[in-house]
Amino acid sequence: MRVEIDGSELEVTPEQTLLDAIRATGGDVSTLCFDARQAPFGACRVCLVGVEGAPGPLPACTTPCRDGMRIDTRDETALRVAAAVVELVLSELPEPPAAHTELATVASRLGVGIDGPVRWPGPTHERRHDERHPYLALQHELCISCGRCVRACDEVQGAFALTATGRGFSANIAAGLDAGFRDSTCVSCGACADTCPTDAITEITLLRLNGQPPQESTR
Amino acid sequence: MSARFDSTVTTTCGYCGVGCRLEAHARDGRIASISPAQDGPANRGHTCLKGRFAHQFSRNRDRLTAPLIREYGGFRIATWEEAIHKISTELNRIKSQYGPDAIAGLASSRATNEDCYAMARLMRAAIGTNNIDNCSRVCHSPTSFALRKSFGLSGATGSFADIDAARAAIIIGANPTEGHPVVGARIKQATLRGLRLVTIDPRRIELADYGVLHLSPRPGTNAAVMLGLAHVVARDGLTDDQFIERRTEGYAEVEALLALYTPEAVQEITGIPAADLEAAAHIYAEASEASILWGLGVTEHKYGSEVVRLICNLAMMTGNVGRPGAALLPLRGQNNVQGSSDMGALPDTYTAYRPVGDEQVANSFEQRWGVPLSREKGYKIPEMFDAAVAGKLKAMYIFGEDVAQTDPNTTHVVKALESLEFLVCQDIFETETTKFADVILPASAFLEKSGTFTNAERRFQLVAPAIDPPGGAKPDLEIIQLVSSALGHEMGYGSSAEVMDEIAAMTPEYGGVSHERIGRHGLQWPVAADGTDSPILYADEFSLRGGKGSFAALPYKQPGDAADDEFPLILVTGRRLQHYNAGTMTRRTANLELLDRESLEIHPEDAERLWIADGQKVSVRSRVGRIEVEAKVTERIEPGHVFTTFHFPEVRTNLLIGSSADVNTSCPEYKVVAVDVRPIAEQPAYTPALAEPALSS
Repeated sequence: MRVEIDGSELEVTPEQTLLDAIRATGGDVSTLCFDARQAPFGACRVCLVGVEGAPGPLPACTTPCRDGMRIDTRDETALRVAAAVVELVLSELPEPPAAHTELATVASRLGVGIDGPVRWPGPTHERRHDERHPYLALQHELCISCGRCVRACDEVQGAFALTATGRGFSANIAAGLDAGFRDSTCVSCGACADTCPTDAITEITLLRLNGQPPQESTR
Repeated sequence: MSARFDSTVTTTCGYCGVGCRLEAHARDGRIASISPAQDGPANRGHTCLKGRFAHQFSRNRDRLTAPLIREYGGFRIATWEEAIHKISTELNRIKSQYGPDAIAGLASSRATNEDCYAMARLMRAAIGTNNIDNCSRVCHSPTSFALRKSFGLSGATGSFADIDAARAAIIIGANPTEGHPVVGARIKQATLRGLRLVTIDPRRIELADYGVLHLSPRPGTNAAVMLGLAHVVARDGLTDDQFIERRTEGYAEVEALLALYTPEAVQEITGIPAADLEAAAHIYAEASEASILWGLGVTEHKYGSEVVRLICNLAMMTGNVGRPGAALLPLRGQNNVQGSSDMGALPDTYTAYRPVGDEQVANSFEQRWGVPLSREKGYKIPEMFDAAVAGKLKAMYIFGEDVAQTDPNTTHVVKALESLEFLVCQDIFETETTKFADVILPASAFLEKSGTFTNAERRFQLVAPAIDPPGGAKPDLEIIQLVSSALGHEMGYGSSAEVMDEIAAMTPEYGGVSHERIGRHGLQWPVAADGTDSPILYADEFSLRGGKGSFAALPYKQPGDAADDEFPLILVTGRRLQHYNAGTMTRRTANLELLDRESLEIHPEDAERLWIADGQKVSVRSRVGRIEVEAKVTERIEPGHVFTTFHFPEVRTNLLIGSSADVNTSCPEYKVVAVDVRPIAEQPAYTPALAEPALSS
């Protein structure tokens, strides 16, 4: 079967998603909750693309290819919605994401948060750090609830040490029963820090490298 | 990402045999962070706490940064010239006084293929002896031996990808979630997708919780387990008769032998309920694709090599060889335990296991190296120690190995090291072994040098330096060449790639290997001259003469040690997630914060009977030694057994291990040691005065 991506045709299989097909052509769409090591999740709505005949933009990471689909990765509505999603995500953070993070890359690609502050000023997450593990640091205020760390822990390592907690604005992640990595089933593999797009989970040595002094664990 | 780091280099992990590809990020000459390479064939974007985090050892203040020479009972810092001069003078003296066979060398399964090849050349060409061995002797030599006998080649028949393709799998004598964490995670993923997993181990390993069935045999009875499984397969008509008929030899003898190993008889020997054994046999044999994975729990026994042959029997009976998902995957312990032996750092073989007595092979190396070579087999590691104690071996050159901590019967090893006239150690830290050295050479860690490692899938993978060696330390290849030159044998390698070119030129099995071809994805040997590699072996025929797999009719025999009245418990040794082998590296990282001491696992029933409380210090005594360690009361271990590791030198677990070893390969029996465990009496703070004895007669 074939699909058309931004005007060029491509042979695909039914197992492929729109994102697979787009990346196979060398094209790209921004993603935030997606990690190739994990099953597609489709939570963040950043990878939206236009599909001819569809009632609205579709998430590329979870939509399977169908014969004859015509996909537009530059669809205006899709890009506008994706940008708004990222802008909303940024609006909850106490500070802009560090330049090396995936969130910063996605924001700049979508042109969000570059020229001054985001729209919708409102409450931002309160700083809450946990550096009790020798290698892994939790910076809860940076969590955007993409679920990547939880899925890395479940699907890649199989340790089931991380949990999504809370709802709405207070949605966050917890190691074990929110008592830190060391009191959980964590095996210290670091897959969560590796996938985190915001440094909500990161390596302590990297924090120090950036000049951040040791933090009192606040909780 | 890159802005945070000065440089990023893709390399291969130097911890276990999984062979994770890593991105090593450096800043200011130090490793700042390590992340998994997304395209690593074995790790697929994942790694464990050792590969990812345990890198600070590389700039630990204990690193050796200058050569040390023993003088007046201590060590003094020396120049490289002095150290090399001392080595060549002493080795030449010993060689002329006692002959080349009075000198022995050890290559390291932690080092690169190129290092190991050069080390073997140093001993063979520069010294003139086949006294070269490596630490795979004490772990997977039985696997290597048995796979060659049964199938022809000394390596896994497939790849880790077979774990994904398998419908059923047996894991015996391995604890992958701790010993090989990334493969452990891959197995977990597979079980969550429906892989029917049977775990066989005296301890209830973590993967047992993900499998469909766990069998706990008594330590040392693996042979009976494999024979019992084969019995059920034959009895219940689960054999692949076409496969047996067309592709194998010797099944009739096996069939006759199997009649003895009824599930009931096996239950008697192993303690495994007959019904569980039957169920396990059906799970394995009824799956369209089934694989078997094993580790040191199979090999480090008196009859370890025979059990590996019985594993091969079971696979051949059911036709589970040479197809995707139907593989035999030994979980090789160290990062390059496969390669160090492949490279001929063995007393009886050149590269690719070709015998030193093979005139044609020896000739080809004589021509290449321009010196006459010995046709006599050299000493295996345990024989080296025996020869040293007997006064026949006078000098050793030990590269990247801490024999005084890791080898069995520590007392004997120490006696051997003390008996030597001259000992050279080439290492990154001072170790228990370097205490006996006359010269210590400061070497490089895997993050500081180039070359290749071969992982448990037979995959050559590139190792690239992310940082420089500290201070005056040098890459191992350079050191070995310096010593060789001083002994009058110029190797002349300009780079590790040139060594690999020579290995490829000298070895048909690796004919198409070059650093350039290995690239990012590696090459699984055999590699044809055009660069075609071999993810799956034996798809059409085995690599033995006639192309047929060879069955082995081997009965169960009792292990080298057994519990008795004096030593009523059986000690099994193994590994823990947070640490690696002798702990030389991991104990110098924050992994020590995650696990800072050794413990002896003991079942609650035994603990209660022996008046041992959790966390209490206990004395563990075997027939050859005694140690003290904290008890950890846990149901992971079966009653009658205790478990610990040798990660911590302060515990010196290997003092307890005797000289019992595999009958074919001399691999020590680390897994079955009868011990006596008892609490260490606390000293009372004061001794209360006894009451005046009552007046009596």
